[in-house]
Amino acid sequence: MASLVARFGWNIFWLGRYMERAESLARILDINETYARDKPEGPDWLRILDLYADTERFLEAREKADAASVSSFYVLDRDNFTSVASSIASARENARSVRHLISTEMWTHINMFHNSLGELTHRDLRLNNLSRVCTGIKTDCQTFEGIAEGTFFRGEPWCFYQLGKYLERADQTTRLLDMGYDRISDHDGEARGSIHWSVLLRSVAGYHAFRSLYPAGSSPSDIATFLLYDREFPRAVALCVDRVTARLHELETRHGHSRHKSVEDARRSLAFTLETGLGQRVTPTRLHKFIDDLQVALGNVSSQICEAYLTAR
Amino acid sequence: MSLKPKKKNNGSRAKSQARPGGPLSGYDHGEFFCEMFGRNGLSHTRNIREQLAMMDAATLRHRAKDAERELFNLGITFTVYSDRDAIDRILPFDVIPRVLSPKDWETINTGVQQRVAALNLFLKDVYNAGKVFKDGIIPEELVRKNKHYRPEMEDFVPPLGTYVHICGTDLVRDEKGRFLVLEDNARIPSGVSYVIENRHLMMRAFPDLAEGVQLKEVDDYGRQLTSALTQVAPKGVTDPTVAILSPGVYNAAYFEHVFLAREMGSPLVEGQDLVVEKDRVYMRTTRGLEQVHVIYRRVDDAFLDPKAFRPDSMLGVPGLFAAYRKGNVTLANAVGTGVSDDKAVYAYMPRIIKYYLDQEPILSNVPTNICREPEGLQKTLDNLENLVTKPVGEAGGYGVVVGPKATKRELADLRRKLKADPANFISQPVVNLSVSPTLIGRNIEPRHVDLRPFALTGRSTWVLPGGLTRVAMKRGSLVVNSSQGGGSKDTWVIG
Repeated sequence: MASLVARFGWNIFWLGRYMERAESLARILDINETYARDKPEGPDWLRILDLYADTERFLEAREKADAASVSSFYVLDRDNFTSVASSIASARENARSVRHLISTEMWTHINMFHNSLGELTHRDLRLNNLSRVCTGIKTDCQTFEGIAEGTFFRGEPWCFYQLGKYLERADQTTRLLDMGYDRISDHDGEARGSIHWSVLLRSVAGYHAFRSLYPAGSSPSDIATFLLYDREFPRAVALCVDRVTARLHELETRHGHSRHKSVEDARRSLAFTLETGLGQRVTPTRLHKFIDDLQVALGNVSSQICEAYLTAR
Repeated sequence: MSLKPKKKNNGSRAKSQARPGGPLSGYDHGEFFCEMFGRNGLSHTRNIREQLAMMDAATLRHRAKDAERELFNLGITFTVYSDRDAIDRILPFDVIPRVLSPKDWETINTGVQQRVAALNLFLKDVYNAGKVFKDGIIPEELVRKNKHYRPEMEDFVPPLGTYVHICGTDLVRDEKGRFLVLEDNARIPSGVSYVIENRHLMMRAFPDLAEGVQLKEVDDYGRQLTSALTQVAPKGVTDPTVAILSPGVYNAAYFEHVFLAREMGSPLVEGQDLVVEKDRVYMRTTRGLEQVHVIYRRVDDAFLDPKAFRPDSMLGVPGLFAAYRKGNVTLANAVGTGVSDDKAVYAYMPRIIKYYLDQEPILSNVPTNICREPEGLQKTLDNLENLVTKPVGEAGGYGVVVGPKATKRELADLRRKLKADPANFISQPVVNLSVSPTLIGRNIEPRHVDLRPFALTGRSTWVLPGGLTRVAMKRGSLVVNSSQGGGSKDTWVIG
């Protein structure tokens, strides 16, 4: 089999990232809608902007952050490069470039998904409908993932797809935890209203798993530990990091790549941050700091991979 | 899955009445040769006519809609040059196939092979000895002053003397049913992906229509192309790396480039993915540089190499042409083939075939007036309203004026252009193109069609059975180009 053109590796890596990003964004909007159900103008919609560091950009062109303006900013707005519509458009453009390397079914689905997003209007995003739209987006992302799982040839392109996907997923889990933790914990790490726990866990499809692990009750730090470290939970950061490690290993053992020290250093640093960072008593302040460190380490692995494999030199 | 709630069907869908004798019963092809009925019925289409007779128009319509949706979901696209934004335009697909008899195919197959052989010998001659000029077969300045002539190709012969590896020959059929060559496409003929996709679509939407019919397969194209390109690899390279060079995702035919890459199992690259070092061409891979031996380039001559041709090209690869001349990489098609498919040179093709092959042409030309010659110009000016006048060196039907359909103003405009630059034009009588039954709304109506068979040449020439049938979807229109509102049909060769 011919070698993979570096630019296509890049396209596939970002295809994986963008699809995962769109799904997570839909999850976050969905959870926020649940939190804010009865107060469409409350502070909750500003929080989501803070989470993505978009507040300033958002308020430049708009007067206030409420359910309607924020959800359309993150779902429909093609001028906002972080919106679901933009992510899927980018995913599709990347997929178009590597159309010959992915399966027809993957391409067809992303194409249909993209077309259906193009039909959405602001009316479709009314608060009582937002959850349904988010569910639809999630389902389309998951369908794509299922199609990839069942049809994508397990060659080198698949490795880069998985690397993109798991790096993005790890990053998104940290964001979700970052946003949710303030609600489930007070300043000293003690528990707040349990409704928020279940919302946070349900948003990552982790509620039942968590309940079966902690049947007798639990603390906010148990939830943080679960989302960060439970290697049986598919969205846990530790599991994502393991997958990244395995795919990097596979590039060497199965696809004839030599080891890149820069990538290996970044990966070790990420693993080290993850395993040593959190400590025993988890307070919101400490968690935020830890999550910042993790996000930097994840970003570094991503840029080292791009530099070593995916930038044509 | 759609994110929008499904609209309720309002129940207003009209039921069309099944006619006795099926949907073809009201069909009238008038004075034209019909691909389904000939002048008074064709024996090789009996089977499909019987199958069609058992369907009603609503079934056809319904299944056509399914096929259209599939095309839309696949994102099969064709860019219209005048509308840069519409990159997702779907080439309309008509569900009633065009059927060729074994005898039709014998003529086309041998005729195209003959023509491609002559084109290759002609190209080798004009870029080297130039005997064809010395023997007075064609005026030298017509070829060597042609804008598609590449002096950079002089005194060089590509492997096996093959210049035109991929050729698309546009054929039409006159009112007697004779095949005539309308033009040769020896540069970068496109459309082959539609031939194969149309067949897949047809077999999914109408598996019953082909029942009991012996059809020649079209799935072999990718393998045949790889094999032809492997044969023309640089000397000493037995297991060449073949790559497809595309201008990129915004090119009109990008869907086809992807299709070819998949069918051939070859990497699809852009100029930025290739680099030339010491007259060898390398591809930038995730493992570093790897040598490429054969390039099926879908980039025009002018944009191939900014060092050799247009210096402003962003699509090309600096140094590619030098590597080509050194014999370290083979380009398909060769550089400079445009001189052989020029509309002005076309007029001389019957004589060129006789000259090199000592054979009568199997496929005739449409009679052509060459306006660069005083006699041809006079004939054209005298009969402008009866002739089809074409600028030479334009692709895709741009600038073609069909006399009988043109307004007074268009004719006056053309007359002025002709007088100002006669050498830029040829003219031909209007050929009453054959028609094929085509689903229009709820009816089946005759629409004009042409045919582009695809020929692959390495050591020898192989022609893909059938070819692309293009159909002018507008009533009475003779313009079949997809860039001008044409559609396509599946083309069946009965084996």
